[in-house]
Amino acid sequence: MSTRRTPRDELAEATPHGRLYLRRLIRRQLGLSMLALVAFGGFLGSLPLALYLLPGLQDVDVLGVPLPVLLVVLPPYPVFVAFGWLYARRAAALEDAFRELVEPVE
Amino acid sequence: MIALAAILAVTGATVGLGVYGVRLARTTSDLFVASRAVSAWWNAAAISGEYLSAASFLGIAGLQMKMGSGALWLPLGFTAGYLALLLFVAAPLRRFGAYTISDFAEARLRSRGLRRLSAAIVLLIGGFYLVPQLKGAGLALGEVIGAPYWVGVVTVGGVVALNVALGGMRGITYVQAFQYWVKTFAIALPACLLLIHLGGLPERAAMFGREFPQAPAGGLRVTLDAPQPVTFPEAGTVVADGVRVAATAGEERVLPAGEVVVPAGMAVPVAEGTDAQRGEEWARPISRTGDASPVFVYSLLLATFLGTMGLPHILVRFYTNRDGPAARRTTVRVLGLLGCFYAFPAVYGALGRVLVPELYLTGDTDTVVLRLPEAAWPGPAGELLGALVAAGAFAAFLSTASGLLVSLAGTISYDLARTRGPAVRRRRFRLAALGAMVVPAALALGARGLDISVLVGWAFALAASTFCPLLLLGIWWDGLTARGAAAGLLSGAVCATAAIFTGLVFELEHRSLDAVLTQPAIVSVPVAFAVMAGVSLLGPRGHRPPDAELLALHAPEGLGLGLEEAVAPAR
Repeated sequence: MSTRRTPRDELAEATPHGRLYLRRLIRRQLGLSMLALVAFGGFLGSLPLALYLLPGLQDVDVLGVPLPVLLVVLPPYPVFVAFGWLYARRAAALEDAFRELVEPVE
Repeated sequence: MIALAAILAVTGATVGLGVYGVRLARTTSDLFVASRAVSAWWNAAAISGEYLSAASFLGIAGLQMKMGSGALWLPLGFTAGYLALLLFVAAPLRRFGAYTISDFAEARLRSRGLRRLSAAIVLLIGGFYLVPQLKGAGLALGEVIGAPYWVGVVTVGGVVALNVALGGMRGITYVQAFQYWVKTFAIALPACLLLIHLGGLPERAAMFGREFPQAPAGGLRVTLDAPQPVTFPEAGTVVADGVRVAATAGEERVLPAGEVVVPAGMAVPVAEGTDAQRGEEWARPISRTGDASPVFVYSLLLATFLGTMGLPHILVRFYTNRDGPAARRTTVRVLGLLGCFYAFPAVYGALGRVLVPELYLTGDTDTVVLRLPEAAWPGPAGELLGALVAAGAFAAFLSTASGLLVSLAGTISYDLARTRGPAVRRRRFRLAALGAMVVPAALALGARGLDISVLVGWAFALAASTFCPLLLLGIWWDGLTARGAAAGLLSGAVCATAAIFTGLVFELEHRSLDAVLTQPAIVSVPVAFAVMAGVSLLGPRGHRPPDAELLALHAPEGLGLGLEEAVAPAR
């Protein structure tokens, strides 16, 4: 029916215009993943460094266990899940935005 | 005997469910069946079930007991690997519809040769990963029925190979999900009961203070099967096979086979390959000296963070997700499920230092999880809980070894051979399943002295140095060429294996160099990335992926642009 070409059609036909849309999507997704990577790497990477630079923490007892041991065993896991959950939500939102962009509901 | 019954029950249930499931799914491949309606929770439990191996169940606690709290970085890395998978691989690869890394390599870069190269690396990684599973099985069966080490290796290797050859365990989602809960229950319940029973942590001086692990009141009696070189951390006298052996602090002696008696309160002599550590040193997750050096810790984290995505038996599981976003949801749940499991091995490693110090003398610290319940509760209660952990350990060997062997046999029969009819393929798959078990089993027989976690660490290092750059660059960079990919795969694989074998052959005195050699990821991963990208940029322009391939990887569902929706009308 409609003769107007949406960006979706341009994507499907791989026109130069469609290419542009695709590159932009990939760049955005990659940007989000890299951001999450840097944040996560900062979190996980700083844990050994902090324990290395602060050997005095070893003398702090929590529940009868030296604090560094406890810090490595328990708290990182919930943080991992939180990172994953936030990322998955943002990535899905990016995809929703892309869908709206290339195929606007009129 | 309860333990043997429990092991037989788990094995029987696994084999039975596998065979029954295959009968149900005779006509269609389970991967397609599962792809229809497996929820994210089931999928996540199945992925976790296949992932939690002997290294997680036995190895972490064993390595922690032997080398100290530095081993606790392992489970963190094992879990963090799924975050890397989530950020860069899960959704695009699911959309691309590639089951295996070899499929991906061929489809993305249009090179048959690259498929073969990937297949060869799959065999290398899978083989490295199978060895520690079999080692765990040999130790566990020895613990439970007192059989020699080789009996367990051969028995479990044979059962797994036959089961896979007969068609069991071919990606049965529900069986693997069941295994996850068996393993988590089996490690969590005894750990919680141990902590309640002991009312906290006993003998804190040996755990976190100035003391070495000591023989308990009443003395320590251990039987050695073979002469054992040991180091005495403190001066003392033990009775070995009826002969008094006196040694000064730091002295090395060889104890003859037979019963060794260590008098009460004396620091337990440690087997070759173990450093005696005082509690305060042992409890440090990272330290300037010793095994937990920063180079080692960071290299280990890097290997596990980037290596998980390259394990051959894991990626295939993601295909049972409905679409890209479902793959992401599944991965987030995997992070949670693994976290639930990994809170517990540390309990065994810590308590083992005090309750079963004889493992320092025999060197079999990998059996600490199996030994601990009976050491804490002599009597029926300990026996019952011991049976539970033995069953969990067997669930770990069976699920991981079967998943690996399915990948290996599939790789040998499909990727490395020319395609023929389905009957020929099926027969070839069976032969490959039996054949692919032979080399790892032989290696496992010779690898008794190596820690399970160290062996698994190599598989991760190798995966991180080969398939991780291939996946990341292949998915996110359209400039990757087949030539670049091949060069990167080769240099990463050579770099990692060469380092590992050098470290194995030469006992190096230099700590940080030793750390890089036993855990080479910190060097080999950047090398692989650099070679892969460099050769792609400098070499002749290869096959530029048409937009259709990038679309297949990245286009959101619902637009009719993806591979599986291409035929469906858009609106």
